[in-house]
Amino acid sequence: MAEETLLTDDCVRQLINVGEVDILIGLPTHNNSRTIQTVIRAIQTGILKCFPRERAAIFNVDGGSQDGTPELVTSSSIDDVWRASKVFALRTLHAISTTYGRAPEPCTALRTILAAADLLQAKTCVVISPDSTAIEPDWVQRLVRPVYDDKFDLVCPIYRRHKFEGALMQNLLYPMTRSIYGSRVREPYASEFALSGRLAADFLANDVWNQEWGKMGIELALTITALAGKYRVCQSYLGIKAQSGRAANDLVAVMRRTAGALFGSLDGNYAFWSGISGSEPVPTLGTQPEALVKLVRVNRKRLREMFATGVAHLEPVLRSIVSPETLTALQRIATLGINEFDYPAEVWSKTVYEFAAAYHKSVINRDHIIQALVPLYRGRSLTFVLENRDDSGEKVEKREESLCGEFERLKPYLLGIWPDRK
Amino acid sequence: MVLKRETSWYKDATIYQVHVRSFSDANGDGIGDFPGLAQKLSYVQALGVNAIWLMPFFPSPLRDDGYDISDYRAVHPSYGTLDDFKRFLSIAHERGIRVIIEMVLNHTSDQHPWFQESRSSQNNPKRDWYVWSDTDSKYRGTRIIFLDTEMSNWAWDPISKSYYWHRFFSHQPDLNYDNPAVREEMWNVMKFWLELGIDGFRLDAVPYLIEREGTSCENLPETHAIIRDLRKRVDEQFPGVMLLAEANQWPADLRPYFGEGDEFHMAFHFPLMPRMFMGLRLEDRKPITEILQQTPQIPGSCQWCLFLRNHDELTLEMVTDVERDYMYDIYARDKGMRLNLGIRRRLAPLLDNDRRRIELMNGMLMSLPGTPILYYGDEIGMGDNIYLGDRNGVRTPMQWSGGWNGGFSTADPESLYSPPILNPVYGYQAVNVSSQERTPHSLLSWMKHIIEVRRSSTVFGSGSIEFLYPANHRILAYVRQFGKETVLVVNNLSSAAQAVELDLRRYKGNILIEMFGRNVFPRIGDAPYLLTMGPYQFFWFRLRRI
Repeated sequence: MAEETLLTDDCVRQLINVGEVDILIGLPTHNNSRTIQTVIRAIQTGILKCFPRERAAIFNVDGGSQDGTPELVTSSSIDDVWRASKVFALRTLHAISTTYGRAPEPCTALRTILAAADLLQAKTCVVISPDSTAIEPDWVQRLVRPVYDDKFDLVCPIYRRHKFEGALMQNLLYPMTRSIYGSRVREPYASEFALSGRLAADFLANDVWNQEWGKMGIELALTITALAGKYRVCQSYLGIKAQSGRAANDLVAVMRRTAGALFGSLDGNYAFWSGISGSEPVPTLGTQPEALVKLVRVNRKRLREMFATGVAHLEPVLRSIVSPETLTALQRIATLGINEFDYPAEVWSKTVYEFAAAYHKSVINRDHIIQALVPLYRGRSLTFVLENRDDSGEKVEKREESLCGEFERLKPYLLGIWPDRK
Repeated sequence: MVLKRETSWYKDATIYQVHVRSFSDANGDGIGDFPGLAQKLSYVQALGVNAIWLMPFFPSPLRDDGYDISDYRAVHPSYGTLDDFKRFLSIAHERGIRVIIEMVLNHTSDQHPWFQESRSSQNNPKRDWYVWSDTDSKYRGTRIIFLDTEMSNWAWDPISKSYYWHRFFSHQPDLNYDNPAVREEMWNVMKFWLELGIDGFRLDAVPYLIEREGTSCENLPETHAIIRDLRKRVDEQFPGVMLLAEANQWPADLRPYFGEGDEFHMAFHFPLMPRMFMGLRLEDRKPITEILQQTPQIPGSCQWCLFLRNHDELTLEMVTDVERDYMYDIYARDKGMRLNLGIRRRLAPLLDNDRRRIELMNGMLMSLPGTPILYYGDEIGMGDNIYLGDRNGVRTPMQWSGGWNGGFSTADPESLYSPPILNPVYGYQAVNVSSQERTPHSLLSWMKHIIEVRRSSTVFGSGSIEFLYPANHRILAYVRQFGKETVLVVNNLSSAAQAVELDLRRYKGNILIEMFGRNVFPRIGDAPYLLTMGPYQFFWFRLRRI
């Protein structure tokens, strides 16, 4: 029933014109006029090159752009692709757009995309971030093929990053998702992914849309739903993920959407995740690229200060969240100078688990719990930078594996402090 | 009887393509003939067509189904005599059916006396009637057309110990049109048939008449000059006779064959045909609208010739590689269905014998700008036999009844020129004229009806076309207009029901009258005109302001 309320009459009219499709590419946007044409061109080229016979459409779901983003989508022409890259189109490739509100809501955007995919009986639904300016046409194939040809239900991306990029993913989201849900999905919170029509329809009917954690981090909810539902999940190497400046500058908001959603996911899935120990690799398609080599400036001094200040100022809050042993360890770490600074994997893993348990118990306002985690994460980030400063990608990967092992080893600890345990 | 010499009769015509050999055998020798064809003209007339196009019926060794002519002024003895032809022509005219015959200008059979003389010695007076060379390295930029059988456009002649030029099979040497004697003699050949009263020529393989070094040897200016000269002679001496070009070229390359209205009257639109099949299978109008957008305007007196199938393979020369691969995968999965750069199948099997798709394709054929040509047997949904060599699988005997040899011949079945189609789906016992004439809802009855409806309006033959581009790409819609008459055509290319909104505001106030049932549809207003269409359904609406 979701689509009946989600899709406007105008949207339905456009979808009628598109008709049944094999591939639906969803583009959630909000004021992306600077980047959207690059992304659209890459998608169009990717479809025409790799799926010339398939029925495909681009579906823009806009959160009230003021900069003409939807108009740029609907005015994009495949004739331009022909002129630019001499890729011939057998079929009509629709690019349609609908607006759902005046502010971006990722949850509503994805729901609208999935409702359209369901209505159009899309075999594969792909979501692509509108600010992925480094996107290449080949991404479309790498996301679509595993679903379309190999019958996977969810394709998560693996990006080519600099070793210091994606620190939140590497230090928290990946290790914890892996230990909790038992699958080694490197980017469980992705802005590019593909899903089967079956998963799209099932996820659309899922109650997660109405749950707080689902609203906060719907992309993570999708991954977790797929893992918990025993859908076939795989990963596909894409390319360089352009970093969104907006996201990096608002770490609290990012933590809310990611860590908050991950913690929230534990509430209702206890029966599932509590029985999992260890983790299994998921099929990974494509060739692993070399890590990016570029100059990434990290203000280590500021990270240390923010950590130390946070630990000091938030002591009363932290006392209600973490164990006395962890608090003592944090306070000790806060005294370390920049050269000897070390927030060890074990302490970090325990910290995260204690935050997750506190979040579940709502010992204080949940938002305050996430805010309290931010300075601690900065401390862990500093250790991450210091540890990996001079190391190759291979060594960084080994250290990442070790951190994940620590999360998995300490999972019984989480179960021990979890109030629902039997 | 001589039909009225209307100079543009071909614009509103519906043409029926027939092979004498395949249509009806009157003398019981297993091969169709002119007396048999003459007997069946009542059927052709009842079908509603007003012109018949005969494939080559001249004396020939028949190594290319008659396109290898060995005598231009006679009838192949298997098909009857010249008197038989004259009788057939007379009856056809009495029934209001014009007759178009084939004229293979480009080449002859290697058995033609001209070639025999030409090869006999380098000093023979007819030596220059063909294109000879001491080497096989001239005209290297010229493509080979029959890729499956020919390695080169040159063939070694062991008698005169030199190479001769051939664009088609090596047993079909090209005539040398740089030689004025050849040009004059070919005009005399045409004049011979024109004086008997035929109404038009389909001129075979016209782009290849002239060869020049450093070119593709196709569409050369000298070729156009020859055609202009022939046209001038025809207009002066035989007004009302139509010249139809067989030139498998892109529309832009075809356009010069119309000249300023002083070359061909008509030309086949080869690139459109495969795209109709493609659009149907893709359920997308894009291939069709694109090629028609690329089709240049032609002089008012000229006309395109449209067809779905003919005696040749469904040619895929005028498509891109991506399109060709798609067509092969969709319409010719069995490699035995492929020949040269094409697909050797009939209409009904190509469309999986789906009556709705057959009707839709014929609906488009009859309503797009041009003169439609129907290939014999397709009006009853005949099948093909891909196990017969070359293109013979689509040239099997016409299926008249469920009786002996399908009513084609009284000969022993073993002596027929070709085995008839026998399989349970397309065989003559299942698919034949006799049974379909008895059924008002048969394909044959439906074909008669659509031809009749098409003939009720000159808009289809002479009208302009304007495409509507509704957002639903599965709908191909266009407005045909001629004088005060306007017809809206809406085709659903999809296998599923579709809703479509048409912007018809410029026709506001008109009501729509569906041309097949004459039912009235709502008046056009300011709002988009909503139509719901069944799978593969099409509508022809006459717009009337009442």
